[in-house]
Amino acid sequence: MRKEFALAAVMALALASPPVAAHHSFAMFDMTKKVTVSGTIRVFQWTNPHSYIQLVAKDAAGRDVEWSMEMGAPMYLYARGWRPSTLKAGMVVNVTINPLRNGMPGGVVVEVTTPDGRPIGSNR
Amino acid sequence: MKGAVVAAMAAALLGTAGVAQAQDDSAAGHRTEAFSKLPYWPGYWVSEQFNHTTIGGFAAPREAGSPPLQRLNGFNAPWNEEGRRRQAEAARTRAGRRADGWGYPMMMDAATPFQIAITPEETLIVNAYGEVRHIYTDGRSFPAAEDIWPTVWGTSIGHWEGETLVIETVQVQMPYTYFHGAPTFSEEAHYFERIHLDGDRLVTEFRIEDPVTLTAPWSATITHVREGGYDRMVQMDFSNDRTGMEGGVNTIEPPADERGQ
Repeated sequence: MRKEFALAAVMALALASPPVAAHHSFAMFDMTKKVTVSGTIRVFQWTNPHSYIQLVAKDAAGRDVEWSMEMGAPMYLYARGWRPSTLKAGMVVNVTINPLRNGMPGGVVVEVTTPDGRPIGSNR
Repeated sequence: MKGAVVAAMAAALLGTAGVAQAQDDSAAGHRTEAFSKLPYWPGYWVSEQFNHTTIGGFAAPREAGSPPLQRLNGFNAPWNEEGRRRQAEAARTRAGRRADGWGYPMMMDAATPFQIAITPEETLIVNAYGEVRHIYTDGRSFPAAEDIWPTVWGTSIGHWEGETLVIETVQVQMPYTYFHGAPTFSEEAHYFERIHLDGDRLVTEFRIEDPVTLTAPWSATITHVREGGYDRMVQMDFSNDRTGMEGGVNTIEPPADERGQ
């Protein structure tokens, strides 16, 4: 299985108003930053109260690192065109997240694209 | 003689059946008429605060200048000393808690759509986690004290005032116990709701009285709008909350298969 890693530029994001938490606070995420991680899907957890993308990518030293990327509840993903089969193990994707503040490999998902930048699902 | 008796019995039975059929038809007719007078609120309703929730699970920023929306979390309720003590305890323990669902009253102000099914006898409010409120509108009173106890969703009765559903709910477990974002009302709290449709918005006016935790009744108005993208209510349980705690702040725990579960 080919695994790729690319850490894109960290961008500041100015929000018009702070996001409203769903079932927990979003204080654990740095909502002012965006990080794009390219890697291979290990598993896509289609579960309540959150779905999660487990993405394996290589770090700067070439070691495999597994990222835990949190998404909303399946009901909302469904309404945005997502399905349990949208992401399959072995798929290579780019996932843009607001990263965890504690530096652990994880964050909350902003968007998911194919390696050539085509959107997967929608966010509207 | 025997034939005459049988004939008489048959006639009597047929007559009884005819009366019963007429009563059934009348009851069905009354129910159909009652149904026709009730509002119809189809759609997947979501608290306006959470309209257009993204795939990340947070509400999209509202346009600058939008009027503020009220919440049911009780942060601005007129707490008395006991209420403030409970709120302080909740603030101290909230970050390390996990939710079991939304519960009442928070399912009425949640990032989870609900549907409303209205019948003459009861109104059902059902959300995507399978949480259901039964609001009996058949004229009954609350059950006797020995027949009622605190539950996550409480016990509700209601009636219609025109096109407004008026609800009273009692015997709700302290909401914070079930969901750590919920208020810390006591089990003696009495919840009053008035729900009506205002254009495309469902408006719910809450008033909550709680002699244990409040100095005065607390009111909040929650608006719901129809969320698009659904063709059915997909209900799933609350099975994979990976919200963890590290250094006093939340984080994402590793998946269960990496935690040896």
